Amino acid sequence: MTKMIQKSVAAGVVASGLALAGGAQAETMTIGITQNNVGVDSYQTTYEKAFIEAASKNPDVKTIVLDAGGDVARQIAQMQDLIQQQVDAIIIWPTNGKAVVPAVRKANQAHIPVIVTNSNIAKEGQEFIASFSGPNNITQGAYSAEMMCDALDNKGQIVQITGQPGYTTAIERQKGFEDRLAEVCPDVKIIESQPGDWNREKSQRVMEAFLTKYDDIDGVYAGDDNMGVGALNAAKAAGRKDIIFIGATNFSVGYEAMARGEYYGSIYQSPVDDAKNALQTAIDVIKGKDVPKMNYFDTPKITQKNMDQFSKPVF
Amino acid sequence: MAEATLTSNRLKGLGGTLAKQGILIAFIVFMIGFALFSEKFLTSGNVMTVIRQAAIVGVMAIGVTVVVIGGNLDLSVGSMLSFSTVLVVDLHDKIGPGEAIAVMLVATLVLGALNGFLIGYLRLNSLIVTLGMLSAIQGLTLIYTGGQNVDISHQDTTWFAVFGRGQVFGLPVPILIFAVVAVIVHVVLAYTPYGRRVYAVGGNPMAAVFSGIRRNRVVACSYLISAFCTGIAAVILGSRVMGSQNNVGQGYELLVLAAVILGGTSLLGGSGSVLKTVIGVLILGFIQNGLLLLGYAYYVQWLVTWVVIILAVWLDVAAKRGRLFSPIA
Repeated sequence: MTKMIQKSVAAGVVASGLALAGGAQAETMTIGITQNNVGVDSYQTTYEKAFIEAASKNPDVKTIVLDAGGDVARQIAQMQDLIQQQVDAIIIWPTNGKAVVPAVRKANQAHIPVIVTNSNIAKEGQEFIASFSGPNNITQGAYSAEMMCDALDNKGQIVQITGQPGYTTAIERQKGFEDRLAEVCPDVKIIESQPGDWNREKSQRVMEAFLTKYDDIDGVYAGDDNMGVGALNAAKAAGRKDIIFIGATNFSVGYEAMARGEYYGSIYQSPVDDAKNALQTAIDVIKGKDVPKMNYFDTPKITQKNMDQFSKPVF
Repeated sequence: MAEATLTSNRLKGLGGTLAKQGILIAFIVFMIGFALFSEKFLTSGNVMTVIRQAAIVGVMAIGVTVVVIGGNLDLSVGSMLSFSTVLVVDLHDKIGPGEAIAVMLVATLVLGALNGFLIGYLRLNSLIVTLGMLSAIQGLTLIYTGGQNVDISHQDTTWFAVFGRGQVFGLPVPILIFAVVAVIVHVVLAYTPYGRRVYAVGGNPMAAVFSGIRRNRVVACSYLISAFCTGIAAVILGSRVMGSQNNVGQGYELLVLAAVILGGTSLLGGSGSVLKTVIGVLILGFIQNGLLLLGYAYYVQWLVTWVVIILAVWLDVAAKRGRLFSPIA
C-alpha cells in the first residue's frame, strides 16, 4: 500500500516536474526505473526503499519507480511507457536478460540512455546500454574461493550448492569460484555440485544427501547465505562438525551464524549500495560524465575476523 | 455380450496381481535399483533422513487425500504452506512459540474455511477456487511480509525446534507427527460416519444427497482438514529451517497431488486411502533422495516422477478394467 502511494506520488511529482521544466529552467532530470520483482525477496525490497530514499535526497532528480512483478511482458510495456514519457534515463533490472533486449534497443533509438542494474542483459544487448551497474559475480565467486583456500590451507574436499540453474548470478558465481579455486588451491577438490535454487529448505535437503553420501566433507560453498545456512542446519542436525561454510550475499542469518562462530565467511553485498550505485550511474550518464561500461560496486569479503566492520544486513 | 468379452480377456494370474499392486511393485523396484547403485541408500540414517524430509509433503498429502476422495481438488496448499510457515516463524519471536502456533493454525483454518465455503456451500468448481486461492494466498503472504524473509533469532534455545529437529525414542519428531496424522485420518476415513460420507459424496454426490447426507458440510469439512494438515506441515517446516522465504511452499501443491495420485486415490473421487497416499509420499521422497545420491540434479526427479505417475495410473486403470490395453475404455 505504502509502496503504491509512494509510486503514485513519485509519478505525480514527475508530471508536475515535467510541466515546470517547460517554463522554469530547472535542471531536474527524470529517471525511470523498472524493477524485476520487488515484493518477492528482501534484497529487492530493500533495494527499492534505498533507491527512493537516495533519489529523494537529491533535489535535481525526479524518479518514476515501476515494478515488473517478474513479468517480462509487463516490463517491456513499462519500458515503452518510459520511452513515451521521454525520461532522461532508464534504469532496468531485467526480468529476463534476453527478452528485454528489443525494448532496450528501442530506448536507445529514442536516444534515452539505459542503465542495467544488478544483473546484466544478454550479450546482444550490450551495444544498446550506457552502462551496467551492479556486483561483479565472477569476482564474488573468486573471493569465496580465496576464503575457502585460506580456511582449508590448500587441502580437502568440498561440495558446492549453486543458485537456480540458468540465473546469470548463479552461473557467474560458480564459474568465478571454480576457476579461482583451481588457481589458488589446486589441492582442494570439489567433489559434487548441486543446485539449491536460492532456497534454504531445498539446500538443506541437498546437504542432507551430501552428508549421507560423503563421510568426509571439509567445506561447503553456497551461492548465497540463505542456502549456506540451510546447509549449516543440515550439518548441525547430523552432528557433523569441522565443516567450513562459505556463502555469498551476506544475509542476516549468515551474519548471525558467523557471530556464533559456525559460519566462516561470505560476500558483503548491500542492496543499498546496489541502488545508490545505479542511481549515481544514471545521473553521471545524464550529465555526460565518462562512466565505465561495467560500473561495479564494491562487494568485499566478510569473515568472522572482520565482521565488526560491517553492519548486520537488514534482510 | 461386451461384458462377457471383457471377462474372457481379463488379466489372469501373475499379470493381474502385478497390475493390482503396481504402486507397491514400483516402490520395491525403485528401492532395489537405488540400493544397487548407492551403498548409502538403504542405510538406516538415510532412510530416516528421507522419511523426515517427506514428512512435510506427507502430512499435507494426507489432508488433500480427504479432499480428493470427496471429489474435489485442493491446489491452494502450496501457498497456504508459505503463508502458514511465514506466519508461525514471524510470530515466534513476537508472541512466543505456543501462541504463534495457535494463531497460525486459526488463520490457516480461516483460509480452509473460505475454500470450504466457496466449494461446499456455493458449489463453485474446486479447481478454479483453489487455483485462485493459490495466487491469492501467495499475495497475502507477500503483503504480510513486504517481501522480507522471516527468521527465528534464538534457534538453539527455543522448544519450537522439537517439531523439525527433535527426536523421541530415537525417532525424528517429523516422522512421528507424520505417522500420527496418518493413523488419525485413516481411522476417521475408514471407521467413522464422517469418513463414509466423504466416500459417498465423492463417489456419487446425487445419491449421497438423496440419502440425507449434507454434502455441503462434508465437503467444507474436508477443506478444514486439508488446511489443518497444512498448518501442521508448516510447523515442521518452520522448525526445521528456523526461517522462511515468502515462497517456501511454491510447487508443493503439485508434489502433494502427485503423491496422492501415485497412491492410487482417484481424482474423480469416491475411492482411495490414506495409507496408499503414504506409500505415494515415500516413493516421491526416495526417488528424490536416490537421484541426489546418484549425483543427478533435482530437476531430473521431475522427469522420473512423471514417468512413475504415468506408470502408476496406467497400472491402476489396467487393474480396474482387467487388461493392460483396451480398445474401448
